[in-house]
Amino acid sequence: MTQERDVLEVDVLYVGGGIASLSSALHLSNLVKAHNEQAAATGAKRLDELTIAVIDKGFSPGAHGISGAVMAPGPLKDLVPDFVEKGAPLEGEVKKESIFFLTKKRKLKAPFAPPPLNNHGNYVVSMSRLNQWMADLLEKNGVDLFWEFAGVEVLYDEGKVIGVRTGDKGIDAKGEKKPNYEPGTDIHAGVTVFGEGSRGNLTKELIAHLGLDQGANPPAFEVGVKEVWELPEPRLQPGEVVHTLGYPLKRDTFGGGFIYGMKDNMVSVGQLVSLDYSDPYLDPHREFQKFKLHPMLAALLSGGKLVQYGAKTVPVGGLYSIPQLSFPGGLIIGDAGNLFNSQKIKGIDLAIRSGMLAARTIFDGLVTDDLSETTLARYAKAVGESAEVKDLRKVRNFHQGMTKGLYLGMSKAVLQFLLGGRDINDRLDSKPDWRHMKRVTEKYGTASPSKEAIGEIDFDGKLTFDKETDVYYSGATHEEAQPPHLKVPDLNICYGKCTEYYHNPCSRFCPAGVYEMTTDEATGQRTLQINFSNCVHCKTCDIKDPFENIQWVPPEGGGGPKYTVM
Amino acid sequence: MNIAVCVKQVTDTEATAKLEPSSWRLDRSVTCILNPYDEYAVEEALRIKEAHGGEVTVVCMGPENATDAVRKALAMGADSAVLVSDPALAGSDAQATAYVLAEALKTFSWDLVLFGLRSTDGETGCVPGAVAEKLGVPLLSALSKVDIQGTTLTVHRETDEGYVAYECPAPAVLSVIKGINEPRYPSMKGIMSAKKKPLDIKDVGALGLDTTQVGLESAKTRVLSARSPEPRKAGVKVEDDGSGAEKIADFLTGAKLV
Ligand SMILES: Cc1cc2nc3c(=O)[nH]c(=O)nc-3n(C[C@H](O)[C@H](O)[C@H](O)COP(=O)(O)OP(=O)(O)OC[C@H]3O[C@@H](n4cnc5c(N)ncnc54)[C@H](O)[C@@H]3O)c2cc1C
Ligand code: SF4
Repeated sequence: MTQERDVLEVDVLYVGGGIASLSSALHLSNLVKAHNEQAAATGAKRLDELTIAVIDKGFSPGAHGISGAVMAPGPLKDLVPDFVEKGAPLEGEVKKESIFFLTKKRKLKAPFAPPPLNNHGNYVVSMSRLNQWMADLLEKNGVDLFWEFAGVEVLYDEGKVIGVRTGDKGIDAKGEKKPNYEPGTDIHAGVTVFGEGSRGNLTKELIAHLGLDQGANPPAFEVGVKEVWELPEPRLQPGEVVHTLGYPLKRDTFGGGFIYGMKDNMVSVGQLVSLDYSDPYLDPHREFQKFKLHPMLAALLSGGKLVQYGAKTVPVGGLYSIPQLSFPGGLIIGDAGNLFNSQKIKGIDLAIRSGMLAARTIFDGLVTDDLSETTLARYAKAVGESAEVKDLRKVRNFHQGMTKGLYLGMSKAVLQFLLGGRDINDRLDSKPDWRHMKRVTEKYGTASPSKEAIGEIDFDGKLTFDKETDVYYSGATHEEAQPPHLKVPDLNICYGKCTEYYHNPCSRFCPAGVYEMTTDEATGQRTLQINFSNCVHCKTCDIKDPFENIQWVPPEGGGGPKYTVM
Repeated sequence: MNIAVCVKQVTDTEATAKLEPSSWRLDRSVTCILNPYDEYAVEEALRIKEAHGGEVTVVCMGPENATDAVRKALAMGADSAVLVSDPALAGSDAQATAYVLAEALKTFSWDLVLFGLRSTDGETGCVPGAVAEKLGVPLLSALSKVDIQGTTLTVHRETDEGYVAYECPAPAVLSVIKGINEPRYPSMKGIMSAKKKPLDIKDVGALGLDTTQVGLESAKTRVLSARSPEPRKAGVKVEDDGSGAEKIADFLTGAKLV
């Protein structure tokens, strides 16, 4: 109802309330608290009335938190040493772990988990639950948490980032103001930390604007599609971990499945598919449904109940895809900075570690009253020297090695493992995911591939579900009276070249059925229908559209999935 | 004109509802929100305050974490809040809830009490009426419009045929329907200032409540059984190529619906 834009001044602003930002804000508030307590004793300068704010587009803590997940606990232990006693929501410690190579009907067990996938001593966690728990700790520390607020624009002063503008609310589908129109707020901050997760919309803009990716490889992504099930009886120990390779993915597609045991007879099952695939008919949601048809999974899930569905991308470009992580006025942490170990499938530890290092750097700057570019640059250096990122060095070409598909990739990966991450000619180049897609005729040798060739299946509504049903279980909703947040600037491409070359792959790569090409039978007129309310904010379309003709922008704050156990 | 708005924290309408099999009580460990109907009541209260002055006080009965719903109402612009929270109140039915709210309302002065039409979880819609009865003031329910001149209210009460206009003096209890207004969004500044607004948490003792009238044991209604609705089945899609009407008619006769 306010018509004027508010300006909010804060000391430190976190954009995105995922594990990276929450850990960082927690660490920073802890450091400040300890400092002030000490200052009271020694008479040193206090850091009084410091405002630390976190904004997130999700409806509530953890609503957009989705992961596997097996967490390496090292960084969390450093952040909250007594996390077990403090009731961190751990599903179970990993004590049993196996890895299988699947064919359609059979499974081949690896005699032991290869070292990168050795998870003993790690914990199975749910990202949504861990984020909720973290948010509670932050509330107690007096950090200001703003859910339902999306960052839509980076605010600059000359070349320096001075904050972020949040999205307007109360704009109808035609772009007109509704009676409850509320303009976004300009949040001005001493330091702005970008923790937007994989393919952050502002981070993307920021990197381009400041040229932070100069000399870096383009980022690369996988999309993870996942369901949590409740089983009728205990069939998998909480904390038990199973990884799979092979079926149902075709040989030239890289990816793998996971099954993690949770508490209360729940299991997390999912599959990651590398977005550098070439098949325009590939549908990651369908491939995941097929994964569940494997006898091993069908038996595990039989009689069980779907509880929740979700999908999200992960950045797998590795060491060479990491942009410059500090810049005048701010820092990038977690997945937003492509800090992810694709060989170990681990990002939570890196997110917490980078968040903590960012907090330390900012704290030092606050104490010395020097938040200059030079001070902030110490963060990037510290990240490079952390054990988690040194680990990335060893696997720095893993994903690029895998882009040739599983079998070729595997041998390269083995080689890399033996050579400690070095490939023959050290740095493998890579092209962005969207450029890997092949034309239908090139891929299938025909312009009308058969259902069998594509690998389509019918969903039975018991073990396998269509996108519509799954989206229902993600809790995704958006205020319907708003402009679509998926921007397709040139529809002529959709009806022209994209139809001709790729048969509109957006209707398949989107795991939420947002894109639908409809044809009016009478006139033959085709329309791209965008069911934006279904969107689970995975960002696949922003990455994989072969013409880079889809741009994901944040919808009105509060929209999107409502995850609670993902 | 001082206004009290009664609000409830409910489980998210998007979340899959789960019942505890022993008591058939709703599992409230899922995402909780301010009852959507109550947002209209809060908005209406704020509009009245903006036009006529006065204070808006939020009144809520609920578990301790219901502070989230209360804070939302404060972030929208209400001035202060009373939350009645006590383990002894768990399982209270509509009657008991009305008793508790009425007792809380007796502790301060107001000209109007506003409610949402009903809660999205309990769906009884009985509480506003019962509270009016206990307070001995008129009830005006299901309102789509509220006008105030001095201390006289002119309201529209929605019915199946249209609306009935009523005139009534304050004090009164009002319940409002969806669509009476567009509830405002809490602004960031609103959220920050809500943290500093007075929120008085009272237990059964502080309000001097009669514990034989509250809680699951004293409930005058009993849930005997409950079950989940049948899962949604995919519908039949009729493509209109000119014969759409015919196809729908065929479908309906086929299903013996016409
Ligand atoms: C299927 C899957 C399986 C995985 N398995 C594992 C595993 O087993 N082990 C492991 O360690 N890691 C795993 N990961 C990776 C791990 O989940 C991530 O590395 C981690 O979540 C990164 O945390 P983050 O805080 O950087 O980003 P996120 O968790 O993505 O959080 C970012 C937050 O920012 C919000 N946001 C984004 N943009 C904006 C904006 N403009 N305005 C406001 N808010 C915004 C988002 O809504 C989100 O809440 C997995 C990931 C996936 C998808
Ligand atoms: S529209 Fe894009 S971001 Fe949304 S679910 Fe589909 S692919 Fe993911």
